[in-house]
Amino acid sequence: MNVTVSFLGEDGPSLMSLEDMAMFRAIPTATIFYPSDGVSIEKAVELAASTKGVCYIRTSRPENSVIYSSNEDFHVGQAKVVYQSTEDKVTVVGAGITLHEAMAAADMLKKERIFIRVIDPFTIKPLDSKTIIENARQTRGRILTVEDHYYEGGLGEAVCSAVVNEQGFTLQRLAVAHVPRSGKPNELLKIYGIDREAICQAVRKMLSGSANAK
Amino acid sequence: MEDYHKPDQQTLQALRNIANRLRVNSIKATTAAGSGHPTSCCSVAEIMSVLFFNTMKYRPEDPRNINSDRFVLSKGHAAPVLYAVWAETGYLKESELINLRKVDSILEGHPVPKQQFVDVATGSLGQGLGAACGMAYTGKYFDKASYNVYCLLGDGEMSEGSVWEAMSFASHYKLDNLVAILDINRLGQSDPAPLQHHVEKYQKRCEAFGWNAVIVDGHSVEELIKALSQARHQPTAIIAKTIKGKGIPAAEDKMGWHGKPLPKDMAESVMKDIQARITNNTKRLYPATPIEDAQPVSLRNVSMPSAPSYKLGEKIATRKAYGMALAKLGRYNEHVVGLDGDTKNSTFSELFKNEHPERYVECYIAEQNMVSIAVGCAARDRNVVFASTFATFFTRAYDQVRMAAISDSNINLCGSHCGVSIGEDGPSQMGLEDIAMFRAIPTATIFYPSDGVSTEKAVELAANTKGVCFIRTSRPENTVLYNSNEEFHVGQAKVVYKTSDDHVTVIGAGVTLHEALAAAEILKKERINIRVIDPFTIKPLDSKSIVEHAKATRGRIIIVEDHYYEGGLGEAVCSAVVNETGFNVHRMAVAHVPRSGKPTELLKIFGIDRDAIAQAVRKMLSSSTNAK
Repeated sequence: MNVTVSFLGEDGPSLMSLEDMAMFRAIPTATIFYPSDGVSIEKAVELAASTKGVCYIRTSRPENSVIYSSNEDFHVGQAKVVYQSTEDKVTVVGAGITLHEAMAAADMLKKERIFIRVIDPFTIKPLDSKTIIENARQTRGRILTVEDHYYEGGLGEAVCSAVVNEQGFTLQRLAVAHVPRSGKPNELLKIYGIDREAICQAVRKMLSGSANAK
Repeated sequence: MEDYHKPDQQTLQALRNIANRLRVNSIKATTAAGSGHPTSCCSVAEIMSVLFFNTMKYRPEDPRNINSDRFVLSKGHAAPVLYAVWAETGYLKESELINLRKVDSILEGHPVPKQQFVDVATGSLGQGLGAACGMAYTGKYFDKASYNVYCLLGDGEMSEGSVWEAMSFASHYKLDNLVAILDINRLGQSDPAPLQHHVEKYQKRCEAFGWNAVIVDGHSVEELIKALSQARHQPTAIIAKTIKGKGIPAAEDKMGWHGKPLPKDMAESVMKDIQARITNNTKRLYPATPIEDAQPVSLRNVSMPSAPSYKLGEKIATRKAYGMALAKLGRYNEHVVGLDGDTKNSTFSELFKNEHPERYVECYIAEQNMVSIAVGCAARDRNVVFASTFATFFTRAYDQVRMAAISDSNINLCGSHCGVSIGEDGPSQMGLEDIAMFRAIPTATIFYPSDGVSTEKAVELAANTKGVCFIRTSRPENTVLYNSNEEFHVGQAKVVYKTSDDHVTVIGAGVTLHEALAAAEILKKERINIRVIDPFTIKPLDSKSIVEHAKATRGRIIIVEDHYYEGGLGEAVCSAVVNETGFNVHRMAVAHVPRSGKPTELLKIFGIDRDAIAQAVRKMLSSSTNAK
């Protein structure tokens, strides 16, 4: 159990874990689960119980809607695509609170006829690089990662390392840039640029950057 | 200490009134915020009143005054009562208190140093006493001044081992200028604390750790005053038996109220009742002024008196160069302080100790406490602090390092024995995740010097760089690469091997930089040229340089590090170049938990030695040719 910027944000930085993914990723035998809803949390607990090595489950406090049906199958190292269409322009990878923000962003962008594919990695380590790369290829190599964690050593860097040698890929990372402060959870997500608006904005920027490049 | 003169009734009543005002303001603020810990504040109301309006000598209008008594709220969640007491002094406006936890107020959920009256951020429990020990040690042995240090702890946090590390340290160093007040309110967050209200058990434990321990009724201003004015020849623990939620009838001594603000109507009726107990007492209390015997300290421009004295080609381990550099820095800068965790003959901080024994503090095998002591010694800019141990042992102090960053502390940490290259001692002693750890600290600068000259420069730069600085040193001896007049800067990489026609850029550091140089010699014979880069600092990384040189080598980069794959140099470079087109990045690192063996054997087994580098270069070039 741990808390991030999005948790009782009012408690402030001393209670926020923003470096835990970096910490556990550097443990050789670790498996890191970052489930984003009630169903996947339960699956994570079950998997962790039967997975050797140090297993770490990163959970959030705010209530979030259930995304998966109860018969969904989960595996270590297997990501899920939670939002897609045939016209997706950017692949957005989020987890926990930022997965929900990404889905909200997808709804907002749809109104502007911009379509994004949203991926839930489920486990940060091992990361399902194959799925991420496959989906990114379908969105012209455009990937946006967004995490409630510092930039260093987390989901964004894990994806970076996985795709660094893919040609024609563009990767943007959204994360918490410095020691945060007390505030309401949604205020903090906004201030630290990892909320649905920031995601929308990053997607628009990425697409206009592509358009300019052409 | 002065003789105890029992204060008059008016004074006692004034203190009780203040305590009740603190209760009212804590309840009001947390209810307005919709979150916070009113019951944790209510148990310490009398303690705070007595400390701030009777015991402590300080300047309320100048909270960072160097002569003032220091106060550390180790139970940081009682922040509202801290803010309330500073409003009582007039330093804070009372109207600001209800902005607690709002995004535009400095009154955050837990104390942070943007508040002038806070020296070290708290909120992560068990760390305040260690910082207080650092401040007390500084007061007694460095500043040789009269100020005292007071630390308020909760009973829940006394389960943290770090508290007992600090208790040991304080009595060992006879910190008679240190007082810990223990708020024994019986209840933790989700359960009672293990010793509940058995104050006599706390007393036995404190005495066993060499402290003077006095039990008091924590709600009696008289008993508190008397206990706090006793003469002291050792650190003192005031064991205050209190009631969590005192003043809130529905919550007094009851589980289930931790971290719960009172609902609005309940708050109003409770505050009304408490107000009714505040008498019309016209006596105003003012804190006593401090004795002014601390010298002003300036930490600007802490520099080496001369250039490094190493010769090119000379052999020296960077861990030894660190010790020599620290001793040299201390020679001309009297405020440099060295700490170590009983590894001084391995980290070579003993060279500093031998030359400046009065500026060296042995912290023994208690790394969490050592980091807290460092933060305490660095508070109010009294010292430039360097603390060392094996790199991997800083992992046990990660929370303290994290909180040091939140405290805006300028401590410098040196971790030796990085990587598999330490050899036979095996994985428990090898630093293989320390770069990842420090990269995720927001205010950190990470130096990874590869020779004697750059190590000395790193020490000098660290002393002058704000934030948490980490210097990673190695055990094996390596040749000096740089001239003694070479200039070094944070975030500036160096090219240590190049030709005008290089095929691959290889980035290494420490041991692997030297392996890369050896690989360059091997490959030269095969008419393959590599450019070798020394990043010098991993954070910030000189991305500009790296990208430039990679472009000159057709986008081909190999990174080789004595560290795990995750979070280290390789990932840092990846993040810097991921959006460059036409780049080909290959990372070499330690892939799993290593084992004992000779350093050269291990470098080979884990694929980060000169032969592995040469092979990786050949492979990269052959696949390029194939690609064509």
